[in-house]
Amino acid sequence: MQVLLKPLQRWVWRDAARRGLRLLRFAEVEADGGRDLVRASELTEDARLRRLYLRHASDERRHADIFRQRGMELLHAYPPGDLSLPENDWLAPGERGLDDVNVESGRDGPLLAFLHLSERQAARDFSVYADAVGGDGRTRAVFERILRDEEFHMNYTRSELARVSPRKQGALLWKARLGRLWKAYLRFAVALAGLIGTVVLTLQYFLLLPLFAWISRRAAKREPEGWRMISPESARDLRGQY
Amino acid sequence: MKILGLSAHYHDSAAALLIDGLPVAAVQEERLSRRKNDAAFPIAAIEHCLDTAGLEPDDLDAVVFYERPMLKFDRVLTTLLRTFPRSFSAFPHAMKNMLGEKAWMRGVIGSRLGISGRKILFTEHHQSHAAAAFLTAPTRSAAILTADGVGEWATLTAGTGRRGPEGTTIALDREIRFPHSLGMLYSTFTAYLGFAVNEGEYKVMGLAAYGRPNMADEVRKLIPRTPDGAFRLNLDYFEFHSTAKRSFSDKFIELFGPPRGPYAPIDLASAEGRRFADCAASVQLVLEDILVDIARDLHRRTGLADLCFGGGVALNGVANARILRESGFERLFVPTSPGDAGCALGAALFADRIHFGNPDRDLPDHGFWGPEVDGAALARIAGEDELPFATVDDAALIAASADDLHAGRIIAWMEGGCEFGPRALGHRSLLAAPHDAAMRDRLNRDIKYREEFRPFAPIVPEELADLYFELPPGGARLARFMSGVFPVRPEWRERLAAVTHVDGTARLQTLSRDFAPRLYDLLHAYGERSGIPILLNTSLNIAGEPIVCNAAEGYSTFCRSGIDVLVAGNVRVEKRARTEAPREEELV
Repeated sequence: MQVLLKPLQRWVWRDAARRGLRLLRFAEVEADGGRDLVRASELTEDARLRRLYLRHASDERRHADIFRQRGMELLHAYPPGDLSLPENDWLAPGERGLDDVNVESGRDGPLLAFLHLSERQAARDFSVYADAVGGDGRTRAVFERILRDEEFHMNYTRSELARVSPRKQGALLWKARLGRLWKAYLRFAVALAGLIGTVVLTLQYFLLLPLFAWISRRAAKREPEGWRMISPESARDLRGQY
Repeated sequence: MKILGLSAHYHDSAAALLIDGLPVAAVQEERLSRRKNDAAFPIAAIEHCLDTAGLEPDDLDAVVFYERPMLKFDRVLTTLLRTFPRSFSAFPHAMKNMLGEKAWMRGVIGSRLGISGRKILFTEHHQSHAAAAFLTAPTRSAAILTADGVGEWATLTAGTGRRGPEGTTIALDREIRFPHSLGMLYSTFTAYLGFAVNEGEYKVMGLAAYGRPNMADEVRKLIPRTPDGAFRLNLDYFEFHSTAKRSFSDKFIELFGPPRGPYAPIDLASAEGRRFADCAASVQLVLEDILVDIARDLHRRTGLADLCFGGGVALNGVANARILRESGFERLFVPTSPGDAGCALGAALFADRIHFGNPDRDLPDHGFWGPEVDGAALARIAGEDELPFATVDDAALIAASADDLHAGRIIAWMEGGCEFGPRALGHRSLLAAPHDAAMRDRLNRDIKYREEFRPFAPIVPEELADLYFELPPGGARLARFMSGVFPVRPEWRERLAAVTHVDGTARLQTLSRDFAPRLYDLLHAYGERSGIPILLNTSLNIAGEPIVCNAAEGYSTFCRSGIDVLVAGNVRVEKRARTEAPREEELV
């Protein structure tokens, strides 16, 4: 699969502006991930995990800074008005790119399993991206530098999972895999439903609204500018939503 | 009577609980969910409020939502119709947004809380702002002004409020309606300057001090005045009403130049950086001029001495100070939470006093309605991490903290209930010596991780404020909740360099002993050591995160930043030479 996707990845990473925007998107994902880990550190009762989560969180923030800095360097030559971040980037690193981490008090095992899989996926993705950026040595260096941290994250989450849930670690990992798949499906379904909704609503907009739009615009012309007096009786009743 | 007020779904959702007319708890959802400006249905805030009072949802007499969802839907749909066919891309987005959950609040609240729909009431958005501003202020009668981006239709309202044994009235008698909005004007410039809307407006205000208002005439083209003293927006320059993608139009860009990218640094030494600062200064000046005019007219019409100002625009401390100086009002009251979060409290108060006609009550004059901090929790965590900590009495804590501050250390100071509103007023604060600009740079670089042009605020004992700052009559009151920006007296600017903005002003907080006794004593103890009883006071958080709420959050912020000392209640934790998380080889 990775081999098949290589040409696609090369195409995606070929353009400097697109590269810059993707790195800025990665910066946001890393920063969000860092905040999730801070939250995990605040909720865990396990002192050792608290320290590890905090270390992990500061790594994520550093990664966000590195991505942001390199993204800005790449975008330096482009006028800001021409660039906007994509709202959803389906090719963002797997680490919280395809699903949201669920940080809850007293649930370190499932969180560690989730983090382990996410970090492993991120390590794979960054390795692919490092190859895909071609002659851009500085961007490749960014990925390689972050990759080293991801390996640490991958290792500590696995060993800590074995410590906190020695008997259930395998089951937790499988559950986390299924959870990721389920959330990926949900996101896909929501995106598809959103697309269908957009098409239907756009059709309604052009088919049903023109007459009402004409009436509404005529009414708007009659509206006075400036202050509007409010009748003191207008809002006495709090039971209505109107 | 037990009344729960709610605000949700746009920005800063919150819950507030009133029992027999007095607040028992009020908290923004972001403080509990740890998502900055969390707009989700405030279930955690509701749970906190009910737990604080030991109530179940069934025990509530009413739940009041802070605006009328269907009236808002009416405004959204009408605006889309009026901008047909340019609004074609905004229409699906807006309909999915409104019809998903926002329009059905009676059902949503009923199902989430398991209560009858008959108990659910709705105030108008600006009624909630007005109630939050007027009914929390220590005044019996006042003019009321509210201004924000938009509520249902209104963007700015004016009227009067009276309360006393004979009952309470809030009579908003005039309004300006969407799309003509001071809040939208300022937010459009916020977006143009590359900051996040609904979050970065205070950055625009901070940036304005670096610029000259040499584009004020251009800004006035965007917002011509109407013959009756109001204003309208020239919609040729805006797109917020017709598309969700951008709030300013190409014509706006022709007038002001290319916008700043959200990630581009602001280099105030460059021509481009100065242009952005000039833009900020210009829109700030125009906003102030209009607000002062409207407030002056309101003063003339009502003849009242006090003005209560609510809505997101009331967070603009520079404008507030000008209103106080120039409008003719003797006192200006801005609540601790003038924005949408405060509407949760405002909606509950409006329902209590006006809908149910309950007797007037004086509210405690503070905003510490959030969860209490637990020093023992901090002691446990610090002990587990083998950090030096001590549980000390107030006198020893104050003496040690004053010594720390005098030695240039930065203290994270947590006590009591957390603040309801966006300002850290001394219960979730970072404190530091205010004398040296290097301290400001250190805070920006090592703790807050934010733009260097943003100023820090001083906190000063109320009775001494006039010695260091040029306060107009009523200024000390406005500064109680850090709601006004005033000049630092020239002779003190050098010795208050860390809290004096580039234009010689500061957004100070005046502190009376009844407001926060320990912090008040700390200011004096620090004054005995340094000669100046003023501290730098900024919110206890890191950029992108909400202000911390509990001890564990304070501790994680302490560990991840350059804070030297953490105080929670009577527990004091110091940072060792190395309190960073252990290195990899130590852990694995």
